[in-house]
Parts: sequence; C-alpha cells; structure tokens
Amino acid sequence: MSVGLALLLLAAQQPAAPPAKLAASLARIFGPGTRTDTLGVDTTTVLRVWHGDSLLGFAAVGNVIGKDQPITFLVAIGPDDRLKDVDILVYREPYGGEVAYEPWRRQFRGARATDSLRVGKEIRSISGATISVHAVTLGVRRLLADLTAWHASGAIR
Amino acid sequence: MRSLLRWVPLCAVVTAPELPLGAQERTTLGGYGEVHYTNATGPATPGAVNFARFVAYLAHTFSDRIALRSEVELEDAKVEGGKAGGEVGLEQAYLDYRLTDWLTLRTGLVLVPVGIINETHEPPTFHGVDRPAVDHDLLPTTWREIGVGAVGAVPGVTGVSYRVYLVNGLRADGFSAGEGIREGRQEGRQASFANPSVTGRLEWARPGLKIGGSFWYGGSANADSVLGTGSFAAPVALVSADARYDVGAASFRGVVANISLSDAAAIDARYTTTVGSRMAGGYLEGAYDLLHALAPASPQRLSAFVRHERYDTQADVPAGVTRDASFARRVTTLGLTYKPTWNTAFKGDYQWFRNAGGAGEHEVLSLGVGYQF
Repeated sequence: MSVGLALLLLAAQQPAAPPAKLAASLARIFGPGTRTDTLGVDTTTVLRVWHGDSLLGFAAVGNVIGKDQPITFLVAIGPDDRLKDVDILVYREPYGGEVAYEPWRRQFRGARATDSLRVGKEIRSISGATISVHAVTLGVRRLLADLTAWHASGAIR
Repeated sequence: MRSLLRWVPLCAVVTAPELPLGAQERTTLGGYGEVHYTNATGPATPGAVNFARFVAYLAHTFSDRIALRSEVELEDAKVEGGKAGGEVGLEQAYLDYRLTDWLTLRTGLVLVPVGIINETHEPPTFHGVDRPAVDHDLLPTTWREIGVGAVGAVPGVTGVSYRVYLVNGLRADGFSAGEGIREGRQEGRQASFANPSVTGRLEWARPGLKIGGSFWYGGSANADSVLGTGSFAAPVALVSADARYDVGAASFRGVVANISLSDAAAIDARYTTTVGSRMAGGYLEGAYDLLHALAPASPQRLSAFVRHERYDTQADVPAGVTRDASFARRVTTLGLTYKPTWNTAFKGDYQWFRNAGGAGEHEVLSLGVGYQF
C-alpha cells in the first residue's frame, strides 16, 4: 500500500513515532485504503486522512512527559471535531503502560475540545499508572484543543 | 515548513516534516516524602513526630531505549554514628533496556513485584499515615534485591502485563517469628548470591480495576553447612494476590499472601528462633470520596476509609515449636485522606491493634503529610 510507504518514509527520521506504528494506528482508526498528506501548523505536523476525495479527519502526534520519559501519543479527530481515537505510539516508562490499553483509551472517543476530560471524573484512572494517566489526559486535552482551534481558524481544512 | 501546506504525493520522497521528537539524553529529578505524627499512648501523654521518609528520585535517559531509574531514601531524617534510628538506603536503581512493548530488560536493584505497596509506595497512593501492617510484617516493604529480569505487556492480550526477575535470595539468619522473612532481605548490600531466587507478577488492568498475582521462590540457606549448600536449600515460597477497584466515589483494595517455609524446623534449630513454617494474611480496604457528593466539580478528594487486616506470622509452626497467639494479629484502621491535588495528601487515622493472644494490644492516633512528584 503506497500510503504505508509514504508514511514510512515520512516518519523514518522520527524516533519518537516508528513509521509502522503510525501507519498501523491510522489504519486502525480510519480504516483501510486511506491516503495521508501533511500540513504544518506552527511546529506541529498535522496528518490529513482521506479516502478517495472525502476527508476522514485529522491526526497529530504529541509527546508528554510521564514520570521522566516522553510518552508519544496520537490524537485523531473527525471533520466534525469529535475525537475519533487516541493511540499510544511509544511508551517508555517502567510503570504505567496501561494507558496504551484500548479500554482506557476508548474513554476519550467522541469528546469535543469543549468537553470536560478530568481524571477521576470523566476519565477513570488506573491504579499504579496514575502519573501516566494524568500526563496523557493532559496531552490529549491540549492536542484536541489545538486541532479544533486550527480547524476552526482554517489552518487545517 | 511552518504554516506551509505540504502535500506528500503517494510514493514520492520529500523531506520529512517534523513530528515532535522523543527522548533525548537528559536527567530527571523527582521524589516523595512523608511526615508522621503518632500517638500510641493516648491524649494524656505526648506523641512523636518523625520525618519518616525523604526520597529523591533520579533518572537519566541515555537513549530512546536505555534509561536509569533510582531512588535514594533517607529514613527518620538523620543518620548519626552510634545513635539508633535513621537509615540511608538505595531503594531502587536499575537500568532499563526497552526492546519492544512486550520486552524491556531490567538490571540492577529492583523492587520485588509482590502485593500493592512494594512497587507503588508513594504516600499519596495509599490511605493511612503508615503503610498497612501486612506490608511490613508479612510482605516486607520496601523489598528490593539485585538481579536481572524482563517486564512488558503480554502480547495479544489487552490489559495484561508481566514482570519476572532473577535476584539474590533471602537469608534465613534474619527470619523472625514476629516479622517473618522481613530481616532476611539483603537489599543490595554486599548481598550473597548463594540462593538465586525467582520472582514475578502478572497484572490485569481495566479503567478503575487492577488485579495482580505475584510469587517468589528461592532458597534462604546462604550455603550454611547445617541448612544445606544447594541453591534452593531452605526454600521460601510466596504467593500473593491483590486487587484495586475504583467505581464512582468508592474505591476498594485487597491483598492476600501466603508464605511457606518448608524447612522452618531446621531454621529454628539452627538459629534458635520460632519462625513459622507458614505465614499468611491480608487486608481489605474500602474508601469513599466525600467531595464526590459535596463538591462534584472539585478535583480535590476527601476520602473516608476503613481497613481491616488479619495476618499470622506463625499460621503454622514446625513440630516442637509452640505457637504464640499474639502473632495472630488484627489491625483495624479508620481514617481520612485529604488530597488537594492527586500527588499531595494530608492524612489522619486511628488504629486498633489486636491479637489472638491479647498481649500488647494498643491503639494509635496518627497524622501525616505525604507528597510525590
């Protein structure tokens, strides 16, 4: 699949997000047969995902520090600005890898930037992964807000 | 490439846009600590205050895959030659080599992965000023030994992770009737490797729920000519299970553990002790966040909790040893934990220490402050 190859080349210089993982993550979230292009907004690269001529949504990769390591995550939104999914691309901490589990990540689906996403309230925590849970929740909130704002301002469309 | 619309044609190679960079070499600081006020003698007499733990966390990232993590602990605020109390120790220090999500190699002084508190011991993570008594007398926290191992997520099964280590063994000459295997720990201090031991843990996590099972198996004879010079002479076999569950304003946790010492008779004869051949027990704890109802919008927490512990370090004794019923203990703790942020805690509790022998029963009032960052 050429998209996979393009992503592979695109991400080859990015140790934080292995290309295969990024491609697999986008395929999982947006389905097969998509193509991707990129938009630069400030210092962030936004991935734009298409199926044929229809825009499926946007995605961006971010990093937040857990206890001492960056956690590399992806946030994807649909054209309606609703969060489609969150993915943990690389987890490097010794404890707290549970944030990568689907049952935890799924809590973010459908959220909008205006929605409240607080640990212990809308987002259930996981014992022994508290630091990572807080870090990723904060990171997702910020990236979701950025993507939504850029979409509203026309920086991404 | 700032604010420039960039189109990556299929199959075409263009300069890669910048995605955020990950780990670069750097050093991180952190820490946790707890101050305690305890009064075990009632309101008529003065209590005691103690800076129980001050721990500095130091980590260094060498590459995206290799990192050092360490904790240096000062107990009781001060260590002075010739005076009792106070301890400086390395609580953990290991190198992690992350190969994949399901395999990280770990080498160094590691926390033995049994129970809840041993690995997750930062004061804001547990209720009560002091750690549960089970996590002192039965599971000897903070239990750390030197070794090598592997940790990671179990591939193909969502929510399951493992840790398994080969570490130095316990030493039977430290075992006691009241604190079981506690003083048999070597804690990385010129430790004997006469009895390589294996320990591990399997964990299953869902939002709000974590269930774990742990084991330790290894000899403790330390090549003693009486106890045996084999690697697994005087074996210690530990199994434990634990669960943590949060639902709405309520949270629950529980731990059970069983330790078998099949050569307890020989150990007792060799060191003139009355160490049990089996130690067992556990606790159940329930907590309710009062602010959940009183101030639903608040990110703060004020939890009332109750914990009941039951354990016996002489659950079974070898032939010829008389059981001391005062080792069959029950501890009930009632208290409050106020957490203005998730990583700071103000605590207060009242504890009833009881035992089947009725000896030395007492009650303790404790207040404490704890933090982590």
